[in-house]
Amino acid sequence: MSSPDRAAAKPAKSPAKKPKAAATKAAATKAAATKAAATKAAATKAAATKAAPVKAAPVKRARKADAGEPSSQDKAAFLKALSKGIAPGTDAARTVARKSGKKGEAAAAAAAAPEAPKVEVLRRIPAPVKVVDTPESAHALEFAARIEKMVETGDLQTLQPHAQQALIAALCKLYAANTEAGERYPALGQRSAVSATDVMILCGALLKAVDLQVFELGMWQSWSST
Amino acid sequence: MAEQFVCKASEFKDGERQIIRIGEAEIGVFRHEGEFFAYSNYCLHQGGPACEGLTIARVEERLREDKTSMGLYFSEKDMNFVCPWHGYEYDMRTGEHVADRRVKLRKYDVVTKGDEVYVVA
Ligand code: FES
Repeated sequence: MSSPDRAAAKPAKSPAKKPKAAATKAAATKAAATKAAATKAAATKAAATKAAPVKAAPVKRARKADAGEPSSQDKAAFLKALSKGIAPGTDAARTVARKSGKKGEAAAAAAAAPEAPKVEVLRRIPAPVKVVDTPESAHALEFAARIEKMVETGDLQTLQPHAQQALIAALCKLYAANTEAGERYPALGQRSAVSATDVMILCGALLKAVDLQVFELGMWQSWSST
Repeated sequence: MAEQFVCKASEFKDGERQIIRIGEAEIGVFRHEGEFFAYSNYCLHQGGPACEGLTIARVEERLREDKTSMGLYFSEKDMNFVCPWHGYEYDMRTGEHVADRRVKLRKYDVVTKGDEVYVVA
């Protein structure tokens, strides 16, 4: 039983042994060569010491070789990245594949990796909310334009005070009702050019009309966070 | 410079903006009144996100014949966009700063091919 098994096992072992033996031999040869070289170098050195002062050339060469080495930080970073795991298709994956000599794998990885998107959408900023027009809104806009025209042309009498009061009161109620219902929007639209002075005049008049002081408005605003 | 596909025009609504990155560049792409405009998203003041603030109509002062002011109005045709950091205001059509036309955001060409929008960068 054992002999065929062993026979089968032996050829499997021998190729592993052979390189080891070869390596040992090579190492021995190398060691001998190194020894010989060292002896020769020592002899040369002794001769050179006699003739001229010692040159620092071999030290320089050693330093040059060190400069090619990655720094310890680079090495640590590389190991850290390795331990994290390398995502397929990244530069790191390709580098590792190339360094490990698996050219075929590297090519396959490169081919399998999806083309990096050239355009990356960072944010989409939607258009401002669209205005929905109702017949009443259109009518109100038309009337507002007529009032603006009156002011522009200096016609301040056509719309009598009681009509203005009715308009202001109705809009005041409508705006407040919307706010209380949770529909919050600025009191003045983007395209209405009302000056700060106009606003202060009307706000003051509104407060006076309902017998409120500015500090009461301030208090109410701070309590209600409106 | 190559044409880079951004999105389908049918998915890009009027008034909408997209902030995209192409390589190292961050670009704001606007659709305004059917036209496309693209500018560098780095404000010329201090590098704020220039294309991400308010879009607001240009403020203009209207004058009577005798040059007396009728007040300030929002323009019906000119639109600006405002850097949200400190308020540098740029012309939507040119990318120029409205108060000093020499100050100008980098403009990118936008090409439409059928339903596709490309930025040349
Ligand atoms: S960075 Fe844009 S206004 Fe200052």
